[in-house]
Amino acid sequence: MTLPTPMQGGTARPVVATTPVADVARVGDRGVRTRRLVAYALLIAYALLMIVPFAWSVSTSFKTNSDAVRQLTFMPNPVSLEGWQTAFNELDPALPRLFFNSTLIAGAVTLTNVVLGSMAGYAFARLRFPGRELLFIMVLGTMMIPDQLRLVPIYQILRTLGLLQDQKQFLGMILVLAISAGSIFLLRQYFMSIPRALEEAAKIDGAGFYTTFVRVVLPLGAPAIAAVAILQFQGTWNGFFWPTIILQERANWTLPLGIAQFQDLYATRWPPLMAVVVMSTVPILILYVFFQRYFVEGIAAAGVKG
Amino acid sequence: MSAVASPKPGRVQQGLRAERRSEAIAGYVLISIPIVLFLVLNIGQIFYALYISFWDWGTRGPREFLGIGNYQSLLSDPIFWKAIQNTLYYAILVVPLQMALGLFLAVIVNQKIRGQTFFRAAFYFPAIASSAAITVLFLFIFAPDGLFNGVREALGLNPFFEFFGFGPNQNWFGDSRTALNMVILLNAWTTSGTMMLFYLSFLQSIPNEIYEAAAIDGAGWWQTFRRITFPLLGPAHFFVATVSVIGALQLFDQALIAGGPGGQPNNALTTIVLFLYRSANAEFDFGFAAAVGIVLFVIIFSVTLVQRRLFGQAPSW
Repeated sequence: MTLPTPMQGGTARPVVATTPVADVARVGDRGVRTRRLVAYALLIAYALLMIVPFAWSVSTSFKTNSDAVRQLTFMPNPVSLEGWQTAFNELDPALPRLFFNSTLIAGAVTLTNVVLGSMAGYAFARLRFPGRELLFIMVLGTMMIPDQLRLVPIYQILRTLGLLQDQKQFLGMILVLAISAGSIFLLRQYFMSIPRALEEAAKIDGAGFYTTFVRVVLPLGAPAIAAVAILQFQGTWNGFFWPTIILQERANWTLPLGIAQFQDLYATRWPPLMAVVVMSTVPILILYVFFQRYFVEGIAAAGVKG
Repeated sequence: MSAVASPKPGRVQQGLRAERRSEAIAGYVLISIPIVLFLVLNIGQIFYALYISFWDWGTRGPREFLGIGNYQSLLSDPIFWKAIQNTLYYAILVVPLQMALGLFLAVIVNQKIRGQTFFRAAFYFPAIASSAAITVLFLFIFAPDGLFNGVREALGLNPFFEFFGFGPNQNWFGDSRTALNMVILLNAWTTSGTMMLFYLSFLQSIPNEIYEAAAIDGAGWWQTFRRITFPLLGPAHFFVATVSVIGALQLFDQALIAGGPGGQPNNALTTIVLFLYRSANAEFDFGFAAAVGIVLFVIIFSVTLVQRRLFGQAPSW
């Protein structure tokens, strides 16, 4: 199995290789130009369609409650901080609390996936032990199990373990999301592409399996580890299904859960709601701007996950 | 094993065997935690869910063994059939829409154009936000007094919408005629960028020589697309269709946020998963909910198998 966009040799291949169709097709100059113009018009229109709703949420968060629905202009007039103040002080739980909860859960889940994923990824990529292939197929097979099937039994197990009460709900979330087959798969594929000679050199120097793993494989696997970390962080940060099931304590809500609940509770107060929407999107946007290639590379793995 | 090859295992072989063993032990140690978690929290859950589904199972655990009772009441529940109908309607419309948009964007972005990186990034942008944020954003924009209704009034488009029976203050998510269609639009919008990236990664694997040969034979743009690009993207269609269908059958977040646990208005947004969620989280009928989960699992599994059949063998990955 190889991913449609595998990370080979540590450097990301550009996703797009331009095909020279436009150049070699025998079309008159004018035809080419018209087609280009149409293509650009479509591209710009579609790009606007993608970006405008988010820009609108930023703009709305700075409007007053009544302007939010009546004012059709993009620039808030007057600019009001009311929405942000409400989000920070009046919402229950307030925005900083939601932000903290989301960071805590996403951070912990990212950490467990990176640690457990690279350990298992290394074992499946390099170490020989009986039953390896079978166990790996089993790991991949878990991707076929829809989360919804697991809802009822997981709920029963967490309740039996007492993980559905107060702050233990955080532990419940982390336990359920601690390791995904996608993380193991991605890291295994990458570790397999590392030249064996490097590990053998370490072995000759007397390094055992664990030392080789920590000193040689982990540093060389940094790009794949970064990809897994970013994907897991984004996925958990944006997650909705498990939080709705597990985080029943109001104080434990994450940003997406808060957004969904406030929408119901304060339906007509759009500016504070949009402030929460903006705050939930900005951290991922920053990651996206700086690490775009990891998002792109991880899509395939995410797709395999369904 | 090595003893068969050499009756007197020397020191070297003993050392080798010891190393083999320590390698295997290291392997088991490194995979132990994930394997235990997968066995308990994933694979074990299928059997546990199956077990629960045969019981009348409330908040305090099993009450009475029902056999296939839950499945029988499930199949005779009109709301369940409504949920199936809604989910199928959604899937049948959203999957081709996602695929077409994704392919269209991929082919355009794959041309020699300026700002290629920017457009690719912009098209993928909605996919990085959470489903909750995007759904609430849409609820706001398509509210009766929201941006969409305001803009169409300002542009003088209201007579056009009137023709289709939509008043100036149409509540797009609150009207049972339009609610599910709005979710289709919303999700086509969100995922078109992801589908584009899938198609792009496959487009890249088509060798340039094929296009060159086609150009020499005088093939135009449309012919090249129809006769070469589209058929050669076979594995991509399979991959995108599978991802898209499986995602569609699991529609939940947007339905819950827009329609609440009741799938308002009038069960227009009650999908299979929302129905499952409602049975468990609102009615605490866990045995019944588990039965819904099993049925959903069977549906998703069969769809995957059927797709594999239809599209021929699975691609190399």
